[in-house]
Amino acid sequence: MHKTISLALGTICAVFLFFTMISAIRFVQSAWQPPELQNRAEDRYRLVLITQDLGTPFWNKVGEGAQAQADKLGANLEVWGTYGEDREDFLKQLEIAIDSKVDGIIVQGMDEDEFDNLTKVKAAFYGIPIITVASDVPMSDSMRKTYVGSDVFAAGRMIAERLVKDMGRTGTVVLMGDSREEYDQHQRVLGVRSVLGAYPNIHVEYVTTSNEEQQIAAATQDVMNRFPDVNAFISVDANLTTAMVQEIGRRSQIEPYDLYSFDDNPGILQLLRQGKLDAVVEQAPEEMGRLGVQLMTQWLDGKTVPLDPEGYPTPIRLLKTEDVQ
Amino acid sequence: MIGIQRKIWTLTALVMFIMAAIWIMLTYYNQKTQDQYNDILQRYLRMNEVTSSSKQTVNALNIYLLTPTEGNLSSLRRSEEQLRSAQSSIGMLRNGGNDFALTSYMNLIDSLIETTDRSVLFKSEQENEDSSRAFAEASRISGYISEMTLQLLDIELNTYQQFYRSIIEQAEELKKLGIWILLAITFGLLLFTYWFSLSITRPVQHLTKAAQELAKGNFERQIVVNSSDEIFFLATTFERMRVNINNLILEIREKARLESELQQNRLLLQESQLRSLQSQINPHFLFNILDTLSKKAFLEGAEETSDLLVSVAGLLRYNLKRLDRAVTLYDEVRVMRQYMEIQSARFTERLTLITEIDERCLSTPVPGLTLQPIVENAVTHAIEPSEDGGTIRVTITDAGDRVTVEIADDGPGMSEEKIRGILEEQETQSESHSTGIGFGNVVRRLRLFYGVSDVIEIESEEGLGVRVRLQLPKTRRNDTYDQTAHRG
Repeated sequence: MHKTISLALGTICAVFLFFTMISAIRFVQSAWQPPELQNRAEDRYRLVLITQDLGTPFWNKVGEGAQAQADKLGANLEVWGTYGEDREDFLKQLEIAIDSKVDGIIVQGMDEDEFDNLTKVKAAFYGIPIITVASDVPMSDSMRKTYVGSDVFAAGRMIAERLVKDMGRTGTVVLMGDSREEYDQHQRVLGVRSVLGAYPNIHVEYVTTSNEEQQIAAATQDVMNRFPDVNAFISVDANLTTAMVQEIGRRSQIEPYDLYSFDDNPGILQLLRQGKLDAVVEQAPEEMGRLGVQLMTQWLDGKTVPLDPEGYPTPIRLLKTEDVQ
Repeated sequence: MIGIQRKIWTLTALVMFIMAAIWIMLTYYNQKTQDQYNDILQRYLRMNEVTSSSKQTVNALNIYLLTPTEGNLSSLRRSEEQLRSAQSSIGMLRNGGNDFALTSYMNLIDSLIETTDRSVLFKSEQENEDSSRAFAEASRISGYISEMTLQLLDIELNTYQQFYRSIIEQAEELKKLGIWILLAITFGLLLFTYWFSLSITRPVQHLTKAAQELAKGNFERQIVVNSSDEIFFLATTFERMRVNINNLILEIREKARLESELQQNRLLLQESQLRSLQSQINPHFLFNILDTLSKKAFLEGAEETSDLLVSVAGLLRYNLKRLDRAVTLYDEVRVMRQYMEIQSARFTERLTLITEIDERCLSTPVPGLTLQPIVENAVTHAIEPSEDGGTIRVTITDAGDRVTVEIADDGPGMSEEKIRGILEEQETQSESHSTGIGFGNVVRRLRLFYGVSDVIEIESEEGLGVRVRLQLPKTRRNDTYDQTAHRG
């Protein structure tokens, strides 16, 4: 009798003790320490990469390359930017970066007075070095330390040479560009013209439009109306390409036209794969990011002073329809 | 020995300890959580403070630019000061997650203050356009600070998310743990209390049972209690008491037995006295007559008759003495000789007495009238029936701490039953011509006197006579015989 009671009580007690132990272990394990506080700022370069087209594959790759290099070099990099080319917000971000006194700014160039004002006056006032990436703004305008990205002039030449190969020595070529005429677009056009200028039978028509879809469509229609015998289109701003190709496709077959563009827009590769574009200049975004960070830290360390104001070109190559299919 | 009090203390201490442990644990945890909550709130409050003081600075700047008075300037300086202190306090919030943003944030505050100062400077130099441009910038920066505050809060939430969740989770776990601990302690205490109470009540039950046994008069059962507290002490005392009572009872029984034996003995003695009194109605008259007869016989020249009469008188006198007194062997031997003289006058040549007596042994104390009845028995059974008579041999020798008295005859012997009857102290039917004291009486008195049972042995063989051997201790074991006898 006594033994039975003792045994029963003992068993129950042991079971409860077991559960208590489990619960206690869980209780202790559920405790998380708050993140460790730091007394002072990390002794690392604070770099900012600012772009207008956050979230696009091109700029994601630039960001990845830059981040990887920053991790390697022990720099603290943040990628800021706006979605969908919100220029005002972009400029605001740039100003914040300058006011925050970061150690270096790697920025997608924007050929506008406000941009130039910020980089030339304010950044210089605070002594913050600026490197343009992917899109350049001339040093005289922006006081940038250097440019990292494709040699746009060479890219324009590359496209033009391909065009001559595809089309022949005679024909009408339409260059479609953004009406803002940014520096790199201008350089591309110059590149194209420098090649095509050698062929007197090739007529080059340069059309500009704003980057709204309707305007692009209208501009495309207009140019096709004016030059019904157009043979080739070169979209010097990748952001215009999709709407342009759509509009051409709406009017007639795409096949007879030779269509060329650049790759810094998410829709481009898709079009190339569909065979709607004949060739695209492919850039090396990761290399841009990597090189941008590397050059910035080198400059900050005082290892490479001054940086080459002409810029550091990253590799480009022509990507044809056959290459991606 | 673990006392009951100590057991109770232990139990109480254990309960107190557990309660204290739980209380300390809960208090500690509570305090920790409280501190954590305070920290978290502090962080948010500090960030908010920066936003509000930056706005206040811009506001103060605006007021100063509109009405540039000393008072407004000092209020601007005050808000700048406030902003700086907010900035320094925010510096303590730095962690791995917000390092970049926090540095930017603090630099933004610096920029705001610099821009503000610039604006004030321009104003003082009457360059109003530059001043208002700087104000616009300051206002913008203040906006950036607000935005950055939100961004920081966002980072804060992300960094601390796991931590906040862990706090919630831990609170939940604590609730469960509390229930489990409560259950475990409840049953643990139940178990402990059960054992504890059992350790007290079980010995008490044993003791109760033992007491009941004692009350029933059963003193034989040993009291066993397996315990180590006061109950054990009680039980051992109880056990000792039981043993003592048991011993006392045994002693009383022994005493009662002795008392009855003595009573019997006295009765026997009185009986023998009565017998002698019955047979000697007036002994003094008889002694006087015998004395007169003896003198007359002597005067008439019958010397032998005279001697015989003297013997008879001595024997009678000895017999009539207080029989319950201890005498020496010497007296006994003397009486025996007188008796034999009388008997040899009766049996003449038929009776031969041979004595071998070690004189050194004659001081041994013996109960009165022991030798004579035995010799009388021998005469009665061995000499009287035989026409040729017989020989009675009395030997007294020293045998170490005892004296051996041997009375042997050469008569027809005694049957086994008779011997056994004598040794078992049964009174044989009294023969009319004896002096009055039976053999059985002698045996009993001898045993009582010496306190030993092997004092007498009887050997007999058909036709070869009877040999009675007395082994008398030289010293008596106790004196009870004498004392009781004197009282009677």
